[in-house]
Amino acid sequence: MPVQFAAKRLGKELNKIQNGLPPGIELISADNLEEWLLDIRVLDNNPLYLNDTYRLKFRFGQSYPIEPPEVVFVKQADRPIPIHPHIYSNGIICLDLLGQQGWSPVQSVESVCMSLQSMLTGNTKNERPPGDEEFVRANKQRPKDIEFYYHDNTV
Amino acid sequence: MDVFGDDAFNVPDSTDWLGTPLACLMPVEQAFRCHVCKDFYDSPMLTSCNHTFCSLCIRRCLSVDSKCPLCRATDQESKLRGNWALREAVEAFKNSRKVLLEFARTPPTIQAILPDQAGPSSPSKRKATELEGPKEEDPETKRPRRSTRSTRARAAELTAAILQEEQDTTPSADPDYVDQPPDDGLVACPICLTRMKEQQVDRHLDTSCPGSPQAASKRRPIPAQTSQPSTFPSFNSRLTSQTSIANQNQKPPERLPALAYSMLRDTALRKKLSELGLSTHGSRQLLEKRHKEWITLWNANCDSSRPKKRSELLRDLDEWERTVGNPGTAAGGGGGQQGLGLVARAQATGAQIKDKEFDGKAWATRYGGSFGDLIKQARKGIKRQTLDGNGEKADTKGEGGDGKEDITPAELPTLQAREGESSAAPTPMDIVPPSSPPRLGKVDDAGAEHDGQAHGKDAIAEDTAMGEQVIPGTPDKERWETSQQPPIPGDD
Repeated sequence: MPVQFAAKRLGKELNKIQNGLPPGIELISADNLEEWLLDIRVLDNNPLYLNDTYRLKFRFGQSYPIEPPEVVFVKQADRPIPIHPHIYSNGIICLDLLGQQGWSPVQSVESVCMSLQSMLTGNTKNERPPGDEEFVRANKQRPKDIEFYYHDNTV
Repeated sequence: MDVFGDDAFNVPDSTDWLGTPLACLMPVEQAFRCHVCKDFYDSPMLTSCNHTFCSLCIRRCLSVDSKCPLCRATDQESKLRGNWALREAVEAFKNSRKVLLEFARTPPTIQAILPDQAGPSSPSKRKATELEGPKEEDPETKRPRRSTRSTRARAAELTAAILQEEQDTTPSADPDYVDQPPDDGLVACPICLTRMKEQQVDRHLDTSCPGSPQAASKRRPIPAQTSQPSTFPSFNSRLTSQTSIANQNQKPPERLPALAYSMLRDTALRKKLSELGLSTHGSRQLLEKRHKEWITLWNANCDSSRPKKRSELLRDLDEWERTVGNPGTAAGGGGGQQGLGLVARAQATGAQIKDKEFDGKAWATRYGGSFGDLIKQARKGIKRQTLDGNGEKADTKGEGGDGKEDITPAELPTLQAREGESSAAPTPMDIVPPSSPPRLGKVDDAGAEHDGQAHGKDAIAEDTAMGEQVIPGTPDKERWETSQQPPIPGDD
């Protein structure tokens, strides 16, 4: 019986992660092959994110890596949601990389973390996405079901 | 959580080389691994943009969106070409990997010791000598090799003898070996290889050369075709009993064409599926997905140098159907007992609820009103509900009473609270026991997208037939209820 596609791939990724991650990325938990937690920090001196660490939650479907994982920031006492014009205050990230269109199976947990790191690093706007409050209040959908409109090519 | 087996973690990886003196082999190994599955290339295929992926990986990717995963160039499955040189390279690397890694992990100080200086019992010595060549006897080794007894002198002698023997015998031993031209003063036509006088060649080429090597020119040179699989294992179980000679002559399996599903009616699609020997159960969407996956599996298998049997592919398809295809359902074709049970249940209760990705909160919000009504109804009396279902008499002794227990109204808020706390959706593995008739009705009313009545009957019939699951009041039953019941908003 062949090992499931997703499980096999995630096993390999985990193996690699345990052998080391790029600076500023840390594995917090990977107790199963469905949900992992990772911490990321912004490495330069961007004042928006100085001295803060952010927690990311990855959820993997059975079709990973053909389908993208669900990636959100999660809020905890010492883990705020980073301020960014494409990150809603409930942790949902609007990034084409994580959508059906922008995702590619060659991406990995590590590469997603690095992309988010650089997305934060490059940001200078101290603001939430337009309509953040409304979205956070009204949204009942899972990130993968939300139809984002990717308009900003500067990220 | 079964997927979290040891296998998933104890995997060979390119990072194995790190920390050894052969760390430079890490990028080498990475180059032999597919970017999609991160495993060694299995039947590597070249895309039009010159990227390489496993056959199955790239076919899956292209069937989702027709773009190369690496460069996003548009591509089609039919344009994929096998990368045979890489296939050989990967095979060779895989075969040598274990020995290389062992060698790399042996402390270098011990390796440096000359073979004749180390004690005979030292295991590291064995390794060192093994790598140097067949000089020491080693009864444990599994590799068949020509070894001599203990003295190096004898080893050298014998090695020389073997080499000599090989030199003597090889050319004539191998019929495919490039022949030495016979010393007859003639030359061979470069095309048909007929031997003739040198001055005749031009005229022969212009007039009488038949254009291809003739049988008369015995033992023409044949290039060694190492990459050509010598046999194609039979694809059809009906043919497996035939002799290996028949298999050798058998043509490689043909790739299946993609279908334009939008052009096919349901009946035509079902016909196609049954022609392929696949299950024709399920919704239109599932039929299409099943057909597509089968084509992917089949065509990828055609690219393999060691194709699997059809029965193995059917098993793969069944597994796919239980996980990726439609979590909670399973193909009838080739599906085991578990498969059948799952089909029945999923149709009865709506596969989406069991989906791991199922968003309980959103579901609860959407159907909050219906749930509220249903709870009220349930409080008024479950008995009536049980009896007015169509044909739900199939529900045999014990089941009815059990059903009552299961949806005791007082229990519902508790379940809902539990679900609400941990928004974790139920995993398919947790869902084992049968669907009970009262709930069938409820879920249907709540708006699950299927015609529950007919399937409801089937479900019960099949569950009953399966026996194992109709035992009332098992702990599993409880678990099923817990995980199956969609959360209900506290608006009641």
